[in-house]
Amino acid sequence: MSAKAGTLRGSTLFKHPERVRSRGDRHQLLAVALIIPAATVLVAVMIVPLGYALLMSLFDYRVGAESKGSFVFLANYLRFVEDPLALSSLGLTLLFTFCAVSCEIVLGIGMALLLATLPVSIARLLRGVYCMPLLISPIIVGLLWRYMYDPTFGLVYYFLGLTGLANLFGGLQEPASALFCVMVADIWETTPFVLLCVTAGLAGIPADLYEAARIDGAGALGRLFRITLPLLRSVLAVVLVIRGTDAFRVFDIIYALTGGGPANSTLSLSIYAFKKGFEENQMGYAMAIAIITMALLVLIFGPLLKALYSRSQGNAP
Amino acid sequence: MILRWMRIGLRLAVLILFFLWTVIPIALVVTTSFKLPRDIFSVPPVIIFTPTIENYVRALTAGDFARYFWNSVVVGVASALLAVGSGSLAAYALVSLRMRYARLIADMFLLGKLVPAVTMLLPLFALLNVTGLLGTFVGPILAHTAVNLPFVIWLVMGFIRDIPPDLESAAKVDGCTPMRTFWLIIGPVILPGLVAATILSMQFSWNELLFSLQLTNLDTYTLPVGISKFVGSISVDWGKSSAAATLTMAPIILVSFLIQGYLAKGTTGGAIKG
Repeated sequence: MSAKAGTLRGSTLFKHPERVRSRGDRHQLLAVALIIPAATVLVAVMIVPLGYALLMSLFDYRVGAESKGSFVFLANYLRFVEDPLALSSLGLTLLFTFCAVSCEIVLGIGMALLLATLPVSIARLLRGVYCMPLLISPIIVGLLWRYMYDPTFGLVYYFLGLTGLANLFGGLQEPASALFCVMVADIWETTPFVLLCVTAGLAGIPADLYEAARIDGAGALGRLFRITLPLLRSVLAVVLVIRGTDAFRVFDIIYALTGGGPANSTLSLSIYAFKKGFEENQMGYAMAIAIITMALLVLIFGPLLKALYSRSQGNAP
Repeated sequence: MILRWMRIGLRLAVLILFFLWTVIPIALVVTTSFKLPRDIFSVPPVIIFTPTIENYVRALTAGDFARYFWNSVVVGVASALLAVGSGSLAAYALVSLRMRYARLIADMFLLGKLVPAVTMLLPLFALLNVTGLLGTFVGPILAHTAVNLPFVIWLVMGFIRDIPPDLESAAKVDGCTPMRTFWLIIGPVILPGLVAATILSMQFSWNELLFSLQLTNLDTYTLPVGISKFVGSISVDWGKSSAAATLTMAPIILVSFLIQGYLAKGTTGGAIKG
């Protein structure tokens, strides 16, 4: 962070308000003008629709027949609490988020550490290959994995067949295994993101720390838990926020793989809101679900985000 | 000595396993796109087969694929230019112009990252429907721009902060107005950042499904929507879908390999200084 941004927030502003402000005032108008294009887009596409969603979630209505909707106040929100399908989708979303993100973080850290031990050129090449899934559209990831999971010619069943377990595995067809299959595809797609972030974080750890630890007789595990992980803390918090919020609102990959089925066993909150809105045309309820999803997201990840943010501000000069 | 070799062997095994885990699904679909129907359904997959471009011919002719491709280009370029254009101006105002409440405004922009796509989509759909803009490019372009803006602003702010303050003050001493400073001094220095932001925005747009799915119509479908229609049907035409998927993946993967360095920096959102 530059010194300039520092003075803006720092004590100068309060010690010499007149001087700083008069100097800054010249550019205030320009600054506001420069903000306007970006702000306009966000207001038009985020703020206005959010307000509209808040309003319309109080109505029971269909798209195209707004005037015929009836005002039901909080009924749509109360309905969510009493709707077993909504509650189960909330549970599934939480389960998905927890399992997928923890696997991704463990796997991502492991692979990043492993790559860090290789010569730079080989590591760079491998990292490029490992990161390919990150570049692919989720709908194509869904296609790839539906192909892998296909009961008649899918590779997953071929491998399971070799071990004689093929009959035990329900794949995407059975409620018991479908969510697991979706998690695997999600882990396949986004572990590289963790890998990239951790690699960037590792580059910031001074090598002499490890040297010192080695001289002090710390083993590989000791170095991992005493040096690497603590120093990666803020990187991992960033990863947790980004991946956690993404996983909590998961849509594309489920849409491509199962569409929420079988027997609603992969119904995430986003998929449920989508179905209510666009397939069953209950827009008011769908918007209530969407608002609840966002509220939960802020409740769960808000504190983490805030802690992260205040620390990063504290570090600034 | 044996222990050492075992350790190396184990590492190698993990690296190879992760390589296979990453590559096999992709390779499978790419090879499938060149296979004849009889080869597609063989178990285990045949590695040596007579290649055919029949699937590509079918994908390109039957499914309006060329139009989807063009639509994706239009939406991707327009939304990336909008996001990077307006985002970099905003970032400059927030970092360099001592704007009042700069931090609060930056926070507000960042909060946009937290809004779930579905929460934006449902009301956006209803509003576009009312205004008669549903099915035009306006919906997906605006939606993609809005999704990308917080991250573009964040990324570009990081790049501007990294510029030595002396450079800007020197420009000021030389009598540069703020806008001239931005065009002549800041712009060229943060060009790599702007390129990264543009490419990552386009990549998001190229791959994005949900907004495009609901806000477009048959004439404005983007590639992911076209593919989802291939996949959505009960019995998937694997040959055709694989060809379409390969054609959609190829540009992104090629571009990414060409500019790997930029991308690593951009993907981590500028949040982590590498």
